[in-house]
Amino acid sequence: MKNFWYLFAAYSTIWTALGVYMLRLSQKNKELQAELRALQVQIEKALTR
Amino acid sequence: MRTLSMLLISMISFPLVFIRNNSIYQAIVMYVVMLFATLLVFIYAPNEQMQGIVQKIFYFHVSSSVTAFSAFFLVFVASIMYLWKNAEWWDAVALSAAEIGVVFCTLVLITGPIWARPIWGTWWSWDPTLTLTLVLWLIYVAYLMLRLDAHDPKRSRFAAVLGIVGYVDIPLILWSVEKWRTLHPKPVLIQEGGTTGLPFTMLFTFAVCLVAFMLLFFYLLRERISIIQSQHTIEVLRHQVDNLPTG
Amino acid sequence: MSGSKVFLQQVLALLAKDLKTEWRTQEIFTSMFVFSVLVIVVFNFAIGADTELIRQVASGVIWIALSFASVLGLQRTGQMESEEDSLQGVLLALHDSSALFIAKMLAQVVYLLIVGLCILPLCGIWFHIDFIACIGDIGIVFVLGILGLSIVGTLFAMITLHTRAREVMLPMLFLPVSVPLTIASVYATAQLIAGMTLRDIVDYISLIGVFDIVFFTLALLVFDHIVEE
Repeated sequence: MKNFWYLFAAYSTIWTALGVYMLRLSQKNKELQAELRALQVQIEKALTR
Repeated sequence: MRTLSMLLISMISFPLVFIRNNSIYQAIVMYVVMLFATLLVFIYAPNEQMQGIVQKIFYFHVSSSVTAFSAFFLVFVASIMYLWKNAEWWDAVALSAAEIGVVFCTLVLITGPIWARPIWGTWWSWDPTLTLTLVLWLIYVAYLMLRLDAHDPKRSRFAAVLGIVGYVDIPLILWSVEKWRTLHPKPVLIQEGGTTGLPFTMLFTFAVCLVAFMLLFFYLLRERISIIQSQHTIEVLRHQVDNLPTG
Repeated sequence: MSGSKVFLQQVLALLAKDLKTEWRTQEIFTSMFVFSVLVIVVFNFAIGADTELIRQVASGVIWIALSFASVLGLQRTGQMESEEDSLQGVLLALHDSSALFIAKMLAQVVYLLIVGLCILPLCGIWFHIDFIACIGDIGIVFVLGILGLSIVGTLFAMITLHTRAREVMLPMLFLPVSVPLTIASVYATAQLIAGMTLRDIVDYISLIGVFDIVFFTLALLVFDHIVEE
């Protein structure tokens, strides 16, 4: 099991990087969806006044 | 040769870009395949005789590399389509693919040295494929900087030109770097690092890892594109809100 | 056929205009030349007094100096264009906007060739290299390489014309993309200096040639998209 820590370093880098990126993407998406809905509600309210 | 075959493989999957929705079903499939791939890497694939356990880095390292090339190929195709059809969607594809490509490219550049250190005894060797990856990284980071920096409405078109130029440059870079490489002594290898004649177990593991990474790539791509599209819609709606009749 | 004659006339007219402006002020050429000399001298100090080592890296130093000088020249050209805001006016007068590209590119080639010719004797003296023996062959490599630098450089100069961090973006785009050109030119020149003939470096020359052709074609194809409003 020599060089195990290199293996560990490589895989943890990959998973951390991909994980962080995926989290950022889905967070940004949720924020945008919320903003989108808010705007849509605002428009609807204004139009049905 | 190896780089060429990676480049060719990376071009095959691009029709997947036309799958537009990002259902929970696809996410689950991707997750399961990735889990399966990891399992294969650590349990099914045998330990390579000379390199030992560190060789297992290669499964994800090469898969990342092929994915990065796929992403850059997609930028190339999307850039051409954008200049031709002038459709916003292709521009969104180009930007998303470039960003994800840079992410995977960075991973290649990090995992490569981590593998090389115990095997070759050195963090870096100006090996043609690794050097190509470095130059590509520089080009596509510049692409991202161009897109985020220019406030010119023509920036999408400028970026499209770069997307095309960057990819066309690849064979030239490969050619020149391989020529250059023959002038430099190869690193004194502690152990031979090549993979000659892989047994089926390893090939299968590689294949599954590749598929897993491709699924991940297209999942990330769709997420990123939907972010761009939401941003556009929000802009349009904001414009509407500003122009609403008051009172 | 009158179309291509008009095209040629427009290219030459634009080129003449740029060169005439430069002839009067000599801003661009001076900055390019002085900067090249600076680069070469600083490299000389960095590498040390080992004559043999310097001979080996001379080719690389020359081409680095040329690449950086190229970036400098392109930035000044771009600056002049955006200061006068004459771009749109010029484009309206042209049938084919690629005439502008070719003219700008040729202007850049001229500047770089002159700078190259000026620094060669200096390098010959400082690095103890006899350029006269292979001057014809080196001339060919220079022309082809400088052509490539100008093609790629002008393309990216037009792209980065309106970006905010123009000074940074131009080299960031230009240098990585021109890596194949740099490598081939450096080693072609190095081998010529080491006494080989043109036949020995045929593959480098063909690489540079292919690079030039590919990027010239590409530039012509996409130039319309860059400049249209």
